[in-house]
Amino acid sequence: MRWIIPCLLLFYLTATGFAAQQEYTFDLAEVEKKPFHFGGYLEFRPVLFGLDRDSRLYKLKFYDFEVGQSTPEYNFNALLDFSYKKGMVFAKMRTSTDIKKSYSGWSHDTNLFEALFSLQPTLSFHLDVGKRRMRWGKGYAWNPAAFLDRPKNPNDPELALEGLVVLSVDYIKSFPGKLKAITLTPVLLPVYDHVNSDFGGLKTLNFGGKIYLLVYDTDIDFMFLAGKGVPDRFGMDFSRNLATYFELHGELAYTPHYSKKVFGRDGSSQQKTYASTSYLLGMRFLTRTNLTLILEYFRNGHGYTSSEMEDFYFLVDRAYQFSLLTGDDSQLSGLAGAESQAYRTFAPMQNYLYLRASQKEPWNILYFVPSFFGIFNLTDSSFSLTPELLYNPITNLELRARVTLLVGRSESEFGERQNDFRLEFRGRYYF
Amino acid sequence: MKKISIGLLSVFMLSPALAIDKAQLLRQVDRNLNPESFEAYRKLINIEPNGREKEFVLFTVKKGKDRIAALFISPASEKGRSTLRLDENMWLYIPNVGKPIRITSLQSVVGGIFNNADILRLDYAEEYDVLEVKDLGDEYLLHLKAKTKTVAYDQLKMWADKEKRLPKKIECLTEASMLIKTIHFSQIKDFGGGIVRPSVIETDSPLHQGYKSVMIFAGLKQREFKDEVFTLSFLPHLESLR
Repeated sequence: MRWIIPCLLLFYLTATGFAAQQEYTFDLAEVEKKPFHFGGYLEFRPVLFGLDRDSRLYKLKFYDFEVGQSTPEYNFNALLDFSYKKGMVFAKMRTSTDIKKSYSGWSHDTNLFEALFSLQPTLSFHLDVGKRRMRWGKGYAWNPAAFLDRPKNPNDPELALEGLVVLSVDYIKSFPGKLKAITLTPVLLPVYDHVNSDFGGLKTLNFGGKIYLLVYDTDIDFMFLAGKGVPDRFGMDFSRNLATYFELHGELAYTPHYSKKVFGRDGSSQQKTYASTSYLLGMRFLTRTNLTLILEYFRNGHGYTSSEMEDFYFLVDRAYQFSLLTGDDSQLSGLAGAESQAYRTFAPMQNYLYLRASQKEPWNILYFVPSFFGIFNLTDSSFSLTPELLYNPITNLELRARVTLLVGRSESEFGERQNDFRLEFRGRYYF
Repeated sequence: MKKISIGLLSVFMLSPALAIDKAQLLRQVDRNLNPESFEAYRKLINIEPNGREKEFVLFTVKKGKDRIAALFISPASEKGRSTLRLDENMWLYIPNVGKPIRITSLQSVVGGIFNNADILRLDYAEEYDVLEVKDLGDEYLLHLKAKTKTVAYDQLKMWADKEKRLPKKIECLTEASMLIKTIHFSQIKDFGGGIVRPSVIETDSPLHQGYKSVMIFAGLKQREFKDEVFTLSFLPHLESLR
């Protein structure tokens, strides 16, 4: 019987312990604001590329290397943010340093992604001078209306990218009624020897602008870019929640005189100029089980047709055979240069579909998001599929593992990429 | 007969008064929880069954009936993220992505049991009608019904302190009366400026057994803002309000 009393005591303590309110504290000193901020992340990203030795882009990239069936790559990245805010003055700098070990050895590179000086005399008016991202458009995987941004990688749309040097103003005005807000954003874009030199014709000052409206619960933007150094462009985008679980968005971009380089089968190249229309229509859908679906269709007016791509692949084949026969790889190195970059970009052709499904915190595993996405070239029926696992095991540490499979017949976009698969891990620590 | 007539007359006379009181009661609860326009700091803690915790700190500003925005101050992986709600429209701004994307009230930007509707909550009276009020002695039980289908929870059962006119517990239910989560209010604190309210909100859910999320308030005070603060273009600049 002597054991009954300790048991009862233990039961009482356990019961009252559960019932007792835990005291939570939150001291405002924890959130004291300082004018200087330093932060960012450190990243380690090993990748294993499974190579397709018969593909055209393999021949183009590795014609003078023997790399075998697969090749590893080790990437280290430090993204550093510095900012200062005092009164109406705000300054920000972001640098990205990459160190890479690949089949060609060690390499390193540091880029200034952003360097911005901002004046904010009122809540409605901001003047920004320096290097920044404008981030126009509503699409997730592609942004045809992002006239003042570098193209996103649809395999990693949330990746930090380098900005452009601009002078821009934001003027914000709110209203009661159906039209709730307007923002005017005029932008000046200089292109000189060391300023945005890869963005357009040198020694030109170009100008653009955007008008944002929140009207009838719909985000609508109208934008343009014009000047001597860039082809004139006009665009619009929209986004609207049709229900709490369903969002619809779209983009439209029109370039009256778009010019692109096209290679013929005889090896000649010509500038083809035409009116180009690109558009994107997409949706986000959230199911009752917390599964988020993103579906986007992208019509790329700048893209190549099947026959234009096949001509390019023919040229690569011919240059490769010539190199094998004669040892002269000048034709291959010519085709691998910047002039053919548009054939090897993220969306070189005209009709694409993007589908992403991500399940937030399944099986009650907090901060764990398995997902899956596919990029489909609807013209040549080739595609890439990527299952992905994302997990935050502790605060500020993010782990991601993914494998990408590229599938397609000969002379199709994903069939001619240099890889059959890509196995990737990413560990990122924020500070 | 005379007694019956007086009784019926009393019922008819009192009914409209009671209807007004129901809505008024909910508005009183709203005003006692916070001024219509305010700023506040909130710490969110997600607690897992194994005791592991993750904290988020948010700076929040609200104006009027339908405008609220929140900026993540910590942890470092979330710093600079901000969310905006204009009536039923919600957006999330992630510094790396750079442009605000539309989100829904049922998603959660922090994980755990709090969803976006909990983090960017408008006044209860804005989103719910009071169907019924029961007098339980020292507290009221309010049965609330969502005004539209776009509200995150179709029904709420709110137990409110009769004297203080402050909520003690809220059950969030689906249209089919399935319990989604329970919110417990505790640790009443004087924030100054006449604001005396629970400083801690704890949430648990039968859908996530053993998990708990806690929201702790600090620095809650009345503050007026210009409408332009609650726009997509201002989201990247929310930090300047601190």
